[in-house]
Amino acid sequence: MAAVLELRDIGVRFGSFDAVDGVSLSVHAGEVVGLIGPNGAGKTVTFNVVSGLQKPTRGTVLLDGRDVTGVPTASRTRLGLARTFQVVQLFAGMTVLENVMVAGHRFTRSGTLSDSLWLPSRGRALREARERALGCLSYVGLAHLVDVDAGSLPVGQARLVELARALCLKPRVLLLDEPASGLDPGETGELVTLLGRIRADLGCAMLLVEHDMGVVMPLCDHVVVMNFGQVLGAGSPAEIRDDADVLEAYLGAVAE
Amino acid sequence: MRLYVALALGGLPLGAMYALQALGIVVIYKTSRVFTFATGAVGMLAAYVASWLSITQHVPIVIAVLAATLTGVGVGIVMESLTIRPVRGSVNRTVVTLGWLIALQGLVGMLFGNTTGRPAAKVFSSDTLFTVDSLHLAYGVDQALVLVLAVGLTLGLAGFFRYSSLGTAMRAVADDPEAAGLLGMPVRRVTLTAWGLGCGLSALSGVLVTPLLSSLDTLTLVVFTIQALAAALIGRLRSLPLTVVGGLGLGMVQPVVRHALDPWSLSGTNELVALVVVLIALVARRRTGRSDTGSGGLVPATGVPTPAPHLLAAGLGTVLVLGLVLGLVGSTTFHIDLALVAIWSLAVLSIVLLTGVVGQVSVCQGVFMGVGGFGAAIAVDHGVPFLLALLLGGALAAAAAALVGLPALRLEPLELAIATLSLAFAADTFLYKWTPLVSDSRGRQIERPAFAGIDGTHQPAGQRAYFWLVLVLLVLACIAVASLRRGRTGAALTALRSSESATAAMGFSVVSAKLRGFAMAGFLAGLAGACYAGLNQIATGNAFDTTRSISLLAYAVVAGVGSIPGAVLGGVIVTLSTLSFGDSSEVASGFSASAISTVTGMVLIAVLRFAPDGLAGVSGRAIRWRPARAATPALAEVS
Repeated sequence: MAAVLELRDIGVRFGSFDAVDGVSLSVHAGEVVGLIGPNGAGKTVTFNVVSGLQKPTRGTVLLDGRDVTGVPTASRTRLGLARTFQVVQLFAGMTVLENVMVAGHRFTRSGTLSDSLWLPSRGRALREARERALGCLSYVGLAHLVDVDAGSLPVGQARLVELARALCLKPRVLLLDEPASGLDPGETGELVTLLGRIRADLGCAMLLVEHDMGVVMPLCDHVVVMNFGQVLGAGSPAEIRDDADVLEAYLGAVAE
Repeated sequence: MRLYVALALGGLPLGAMYALQALGIVVIYKTSRVFTFATGAVGMLAAYVASWLSITQHVPIVIAVLAATLTGVGVGIVMESLTIRPVRGSVNRTVVTLGWLIALQGLVGMLFGNTTGRPAAKVFSSDTLFTVDSLHLAYGVDQALVLVLAVGLTLGLAGFFRYSSLGTAMRAVADDPEAAGLLGMPVRRVTLTAWGLGCGLSALSGVLVTPLLSSLDTLTLVVFTIQALAAALIGRLRSLPLTVVGGLGLGMVQPVVRHALDPWSLSGTNELVALVVVLIALVARRRTGRSDTGSGGLVPATGVPTPAPHLLAAGLGTVLVLGLVLGLVGSTTFHIDLALVAIWSLAVLSIVLLTGVVGQVSVCQGVFMGVGGFGAAIAVDHGVPFLLALLLGGALAAAAAALVGLPALRLEPLELAIATLSLAFAADTFLYKWTPLVSDSRGRQIERPAFAGIDGTHQPAGQRAYFWLVLVLLVLACIAVASLRRGRTGAALTALRSSESATAAMGFSVVSAKLRGFAMAGFLAGLAGACYAGLNQIATGNAFDTTRSISLLAYAVVAGVGSIPGAVLGGVIVTLSTLSFGDSSEVASGFSASAISTVTGMVLIAVLRFAPDGLAGVSGRAIRWRPARAATPALAEVS
């Protein structure tokens, strides 16, 4: 099976510090890959390299076998990559629905001119984006919150809005940056269920950065462990859990 | 070659003055992270004070210079303690200094008269100190002393910052005022000292430079701001020695460039050189990662609320009906005033779009108006139908705005303000003096045809028809902005203000969204400029100068930069201000123009100080056209 997302020998250097040093990993279609490791291991930097927010110092990012290392974030999104953020980045001053509609516009067409001149394409774009956004919001169970100001949501619901926004982009690879951080055990359980459902319904591949082994273990097909910017080991969740000698320190350090 | 060396060396004393003023900017920025646009105006004020004391009052020159410098120090202290400290956010604070710029410019005009050719106070003897025969170069005592003084002051200041305890405190306060305060640093006193020192330096440079210039007027020294900005940016707003090198370098390069461009008989080449330096320095500036945006007030973090469609329709309907009725009853002068209201509303609307929706502060909307006005006039000259020419003017301005927007994409709001102010100054001295564009010194005529079958542009009916035309354009523009704001583009622009990375992650190109916002705002300003030229049947540079750009921004802020009704309110205020004093561009009477400038500046400062949301913000809160929303917690940047 061909990898839908592949990192080859990625390195990111900040000054004289190697934040990421020679990381390679691949995510196959429909597969869920977990990226774990202690704080400062370089998980989020790796993640930002995948989504295009961080330029790697070396290495290549391949999407469907195509080199996208130099492709900007927005274009990667159009190629089927969607992400959520570790620190929730909802658009302030917009309602929940408006937030998700920004993503809904990914498939609509209306330019500045048609927007200002109130041409039919403007209304069509708004209708389509709205429909798509409403669909995604009810999928994640937030249909009752569409008109609420996004800034007033508690973190659990804010994470779900981010997820709805990402789903709205019809991703083939979904990048989730610590989706369970800040959630209570109950919410985490619901999230795991929801992510499992997304996987079953949409069949999209996922790359998941997470500390919470309660999320990683049931969801992931494959786990990559990072430390000091390097890949320390990889395998199935069970293998990683059993590989106590090497990993005890890290899992011990990160299990919360 | 020899000639160029001589030219360059001859430019050194002027460069030293640029440097001295730039030092003022850097000292203030180093400690308070506020960019001061008022240094040139402070220098100009000081030069007038010195001239008045020494020439009119026969006070000994030493005392006159001292008094003038202390005046600068005093202005700096008042500026900081009364108008900078209470204002939040560095963008708003910077706009406060713009208010000071035009207020001081106006004040000097009112006190001393706007007439050019006032003699400058002679500080040093202008006797020849030495000559270099091989270069045909003669240095006067004054030129040499000015040079020595600038370099000496820099070394002294650099030493002060490095070795004195107050200097160390200043650096600490600059780095993190809150932490410095927690450590027991006298933050208040330190910032106050910096402002006094900075404005004192500007004052001194103003006093010293005037003898080197031909005469003293209220414009030349203010335009010096752009040179100081360029030098300060070469010093990366940090290094005092580099700033001086920048100032001196600029002084040396400018006469060479001026000479090289001589065959084309251009004016304002000095400002052009400075503009290029400013733009290059800004774009090349290394990002510190620390954003100086400062939210609230002028650039609200969340973008502006748009009135609900039915309220907007009702409001615009009322405006249309009111315009129709007023157009039927009033006199011709009244119709002209009404047309002015509509035109200025269009201009303010462009600022509402740029600042309220795109989230950028531009101090050069006047330039885009100018591009539109002259563009339309040239188009009509080439036989383009008048209405089409108006739109063409707007389109040209849109192109110009996109061109300005291109480097602006890399800039933070504060830096964009610097770039656009420099552009406005350069337009004053270069663009509006460029004969192929402006035709002659009075301006470029624009032929206005009869409208709606009504003959004679000077007939009452002609002015009425023109007013109606502009009114319809304004209403259409308001609808366009509201439509844009609530459409797909508006969604992207609003999202951008919260998080550029998240917007990009939604598949929107940040570059293209911002550029389109810029172009649209440029179009509106250009359309306003074209309509203004059409109203007066002449396009003049004066109508679109820096003072105009600043006062447009000022009144946009006063009316409330965030809303479409604010734009119309702004248009009314701009018109009222020009009516009660006489229009600065038409009536060249110095006093009234100065008075407008003073009042505008003071009102701008007062609004930013007391009601940063503007009048529309205040009333908007009262009417609640859209339910108020809970404050949003700051969203951190990408982890």
